Amino acid sequence: MITFEAVTKRYAGGTVAVDHLDLEIPDGQTMVLVGPSGCGKTTSLRMINRLIEPSSGRILLDGQDVAASNPAELRRGIGYVIQQSGLFPHRTIEDNIATVPLLIGWKKARARSRSRELMTLVGLDEDLARRYPYQLSGGQQQRVGVARALAADPPVLLMDEPFSAVDPIVRATLQDELIKLQAELHKTIVLVTHDVEEAIKVGDQVAIFRPGGRIAQVDAPERLLAAPADSYVENFLGFDRGIRRLSFLAASGLSLDDRAVVDDEDTSAAEAAQVAREAGEGWVLVADGGRKPLGWASADDLEAQPAGSRAGEARLEPYGHTFSVRTDSLRAALDATVLSRAGRAVGVDEDGRVIGVTSYERLRVAIHAAERAADAAAGRGAAGSATSGGTPSGGAASPGAAADGAAPAGRAG
Amino acid sequence: MSFFSYAWDWIKQPQQWHGAESIPVRIVEQLGYTALALLLAAVIAIPLGILIGHSGRGGLAVVNVANAWRAIPTLGLLVLLAITLKNFTVAWLVPLVVLGIPPILVNAYEGVAGVDPELKDAARGMGMTPWQQIRKVEVPAATPLIVLGLRTGAIFVVATATIAAYIGLGGLGRYIIDGLATNNYGEVAGGALFVVLLALAVQLVFIGVRRLLVPAGLRKQARAS
Amino acid sequence: MDWSAVPGYVRDNAYLGIVPALIGLVISVPLGIACVRWRWLYPPVLSVTSMLYAVPSLALFIVLIPYTGLTDTTVIIPLALFSLCVLVPNVVDGLRSVPDPVRQAATAMGFGTLRRLVRVELPVAVPIVIAGLRVAVVSSISLASIGQLIGVYSLGYLIVDGYQRDFLEEILVGGGLIIALALVCDLVLVLIRRLLTPWQPRRSKRELLPVVVTAPAQARELSRSAG
Repeated sequence: MITFEAVTKRYAGGTVAVDHLDLEIPDGQTMVLVGPSGCGKTTSLRMINRLIEPSSGRILLDGQDVAASNPAELRRGIGYVIQQSGLFPHRTIEDNIATVPLLIGWKKARARSRSRELMTLVGLDEDLARRYPYQLSGGQQQRVGVARALAADPPVLLMDEPFSAVDPIVRATLQDELIKLQAELHKTIVLVTHDVEEAIKVGDQVAIFRPGGRIAQVDAPERLLAAPADSYVENFLGFDRGIRRLSFLAASGLSLDDRAVVDDEDTSAAEAAQVAREAGEGWVLVADGGRKPLGWASADDLEAQPAGSRAGEARLEPYGHTFSVRTDSLRAALDATVLSRAGRAVGVDEDGRVIGVTSYERLRVAIHAAERAADAAAGRGAAGSATSGGTPSGGAASPGAAADGAAPAGRAG
Repeated sequence: MSFFSYAWDWIKQPQQWHGAESIPVRIVEQLGYTALALLLAAVIAIPLGILIGHSGRGGLAVVNVANAWRAIPTLGLLVLLAITLKNFTVAWLVPLVVLGIPPILVNAYEGVAGVDPELKDAARGMGMTPWQQIRKVEVPAATPLIVLGLRTGAIFVVATATIAAYIGLGGLGRYIIDGLATNNYGEVAGGALFVVLLALAVQLVFIGVRRLLVPAGLRKQARAS
Repeated sequence: MDWSAVPGYVRDNAYLGIVPALIGLVISVPLGIACVRWRWLYPPVLSVTSMLYAVPSLALFIVLIPYTGLTDTTVIIPLALFSLCVLVPNVVDGLRSVPDPVRQAATAMGFGTLRRLVRVELPVAVPIVIAGLRVAVVSSISLASIGQLIGVYSLGYLIVDGYQRDFLEEILVGGGLIIALALVCDLVLVLIRRLLTPWQPRRSKRELLPVVVTAPAQARELSRSAG
């Protein structure tokens, strides 16, 4: 656990970069510090490993004041990743990764084999081990940077805009991999970024900074989107807040209509037409023998079919987009519904088999219920949204409605 | 005895101060050779360097040549020309000029090539002809480096002129060479002392020239960067 | 022409050229480190080294004669002092060429200042320092021949003897060998740099030429500090 106690950083000339910061960073989670330029987020990060010393206040790492330790020793136990990776140009990739282990006294063989482990972990081809940094792309260099930070298995990882210098596609990939990595390693990660989308995607907890080094709100991403503390936070989060929040609510709570689904061969066109009129608002979903969706058939088209023909022989509209009921979020379901020509999205299981279809009305009901459940869950925990001084651990990151341990819907958003 | 006592013993002799071979005469001779050679080298090297710098081509060749030139032994060049050429003036002047050219050339090139590309762009954009660009923008910006080139060139010219006494040239080197030949260390030391003083004085002159020529703003800006 | 003595002269000249450059290196590395650490130190150091460099080598040899006689040392000391004029700026530039993120990363990983200097900054500075060393060696080899005028033997002997005997071939051999020796040493240093820095991208064949990477930078620095 990392604790900031009334930490202030004042520079000669009067600039206050960080202003009486109180913050608790819980173990094993990703805390993202986000805010506009000059808001003190990077300064705060760099006070943890004493690259910058506070003017007043103190920072505790597992209960111990960081100022009490020898700086170099302190830093060997903390991983640090920066924007331009800062790889040593004169060392091979594997020796770069092995830097801290070698520094703390590991034997070369052991350090190098650890390097290779980490290369695999961060998704680097082992062939690159004996290459030099200049031979790698920007994205690869950043992976090396992360591997290097993890080499000595530090409990804490500090990341200063680690993905800002790479192009958006590479950035998205690296973000996804960080999430996966964290799911395996459960490090205490403190990550600084100016990109609020990145913060919401990657963070378990997000601290939004105001200019002048104060915190506006610390909370789980879902809570921030659901209940911003003030207009500053709201503006900072950007528009579309309501829809983006849906990424965190599981689709599994949606009630799906399976009546308007018919088999292409077992059902006759006439029967299908009847189902369409009664249960499906004029449309019915035709599926194959394996219950894989084929397309939408309108009641009119079905009735126009010659007598005795099967449902599958009618003209079918493309079934559009599907969403996975178990793993996707309400946002995915909403998106699929919007994209679907029939105004209805098809919910499938992991094998692509139709479970049911949804509609705008069902979505409305599900969204409403999920939001209320999430708010209630947040209210039941300790004080959720907070300004400086609040504890973030209350804003639990679990989506409200998901019952069966659905994977964090937000990531798939 | 120390170097200075040897030198002083010789310097205080009154005959060193009168006549055609006296110290003042030799000093003037040395300055004369230096000035002439430096002028010729500048006339050749500065325009050449500016043109190459302006065109942006051939810079690598310039730097290579300038540095390969350091391998040329001064004494060798002087002696070679002294033996092969009947014309004595050429024998001493050519090496002095040749050895003075490279630093002036490199610095003139660097000065012009190193002008802020945005500045050059602005000049072109304003409709200046290449000649105007050179005259109004590039040369003024390159002045500090050009002066430095002259100063460095002066170092080599003074040194070569000193050694050129070996092939018969006048100047302060004369004392050194003659003194060595007659085992008169006093004369050698005296000559060397004045050579040192003259060399340092020439440097100070250039430092002064720079202060005068380079606008104070550019100097401060250069120091701050 | 007596060729039998020539290898001896080559050896002597090589010795008189390489030793001063190495001494200059040994002095300029700590000096350069100090100039990076304390910025105010750099302009005065540059002024002193450039003033020393301005004094003709022959004059400096003579100044030392009462103290070191007509020995190798009399030639080596001035040439070593000259080499500082090139080497100190190159050491400084080399250290400054270490990218900030690299330095920051080293500190953040727990490198102390000294360890960072030795393990990270100096190794990265090697290419630029060697570039300066090349210039220092080449100039020293050439200047060493002037020592012949005070009786310190080198390939300069062939030049002086050739002049006295009006023997053109000997002069050409002397001068030619000096140039050849200088270029060979330069090439050796390039190869050494290649060996020491496998981590640098291979530039084209251009890098074999005696290019001083920081001649312009040095010029800039001198122009900054002077006047």
